[in-house]
Amino acid sequence: MKEKWRLLLTGFQSAAENMAIDRAILVANSKKMVPPTVRFYGWTPSAISIGYFQQLQEEVDIDVCKNNGVDYVRRITGGGAVYHENELTYSIVVSEDHPKISRNILESYGTICGAVIKGLSNLQIQSSYAPINDILVNGKKISGNAQTRKFQTVLQHGTILTDVDVEKMFSLLKVPNEKIKDKMISNVKERVTSIKHQKKETISFDEVALAMKKGFEEEFEITLEQGTLIKEEEELAEKFISTCFGTKQWNQKR
Amino acid sequence: MIMKIKSIYKVPDGKLLKINADIDETNDTIKDININGDFFAYPEESITELEKILQQKNFKRKDIIKIITTFIESKKVQFIGIDAESLTEAIMRCE
Repeated sequence: MKEKWRLLLTGFQSAAENMAIDRAILVANSKKMVPPTVRFYGWTPSAISIGYFQQLQEEVDIDVCKNNGVDYVRRITGGGAVYHENELTYSIVVSEDHPKISRNILESYGTICGAVIKGLSNLQIQSSYAPINDILVNGKKISGNAQTRKFQTVLQHGTILTDVDVEKMFSLLKVPNEKIKDKMISNVKERVTSIKHQKKETISFDEVALAMKKGFEEEFEITLEQGTLIKEEEELAEKFISTCFGTKQWNQKR
Repeated sequence: MIMKIKSIYKVPDGKLLKINADIDETNDTIKDININGDFFAYPEESITELEKILQQKNFKRKDIIKIITTFIESKKVQFIGIDAESLTEAIMRCE
C-alpha cells in the first residue's frame, strides 16, 4: 500500500493569502493535524515575493508595483526575489522524520526538486537540479525553490515557469546599477526559460498541475488524494494574514 | 562619530550578501549591522541574533570571523550559499 498524502488545489490568491496558507499547513502538519501535503497554486494579482533575508525597498520598486497592481510579500523562506505571474507554484509540507526526507538540507532540496523534474519530464521536458535551489533546462532556469524547517517540519515552495516576461520583471525589481540594466535584462533572458518556450505552445495551469502531481507521486512513492484545508488551517491562515504577511511590519522588516 | 558603510558581495559559487553597518569611529566598533541577501540560514531567526551579537564588537577581521564561527558552532546554525569566511569577507568589504 502506498502512503497517502493530501493534495490541495487552492487556485489563484493574493500574495499574503498564499504565504499564509503555506505557513498554516506547516503548523498544522507539525501538530499532526494533517497528513503530508502537496499544494499547487497561482497568484492573483501577480506578485513579487522576496526572501526572508531581503529588504523590500532594496529589491522592489514599490511605486511601480502599486501603479501596476502588483502585490508584494516577504516569505518565511530564504532565497531571492521572484516575480509570480505565469507560473505554477507548488508547496510541500512533510515531517523532517519522513524516510524520504534527508536530514541534510541540501540533499532534501535535491529530492524535492526531483519531484518537479519528474513532473517536467511528464511534459516531455528534460531538466536537471542545479544546487543550491534551481532547476535548469539546457542550462536555463525554469524553476526556483526555497525551503525552511520549523518544528521538525519541512516546508519547501517553488515556482515552475509556464511563461516569462523578463522586461516586466525588471520594471518591478530594483537593480544595483541602472546603467547596466539593459545588459542584465538580456543576460537574464538568455538564462531563463519556461514551459511555453520549451514546448513552443501554451500548456494550461491544470495540465502542468496534473504532470506535477504525478511527479510528486513518483518521487515520493505516494498517492496524492485531493483534499481541503481544515478549519484550523483556515483560521491560522487568517491569523497569519492579519499579523504577518499582510502587514508592513513583516514585509518591510529587514 | 558614526560612519554608515555598506557592501554587496557575491559569494563565489554561492549567494549574494548585502551588508549595511554603522561603525563607531571613535573606537572602531560595530554600532549596528544588517545582514541581507538571497542566502539561506537555518534557523532563519539566527541571523537577527548574530546581528545583535556583532554589536559593540571590534570592526576587525580576526574578531569577526571568530565571533561568527563560534556562533555557528554553538547554535548549530546551518548556512547555505554563504559561510563564516564569506560573511566575514562581505562585512570587511563595507565602505
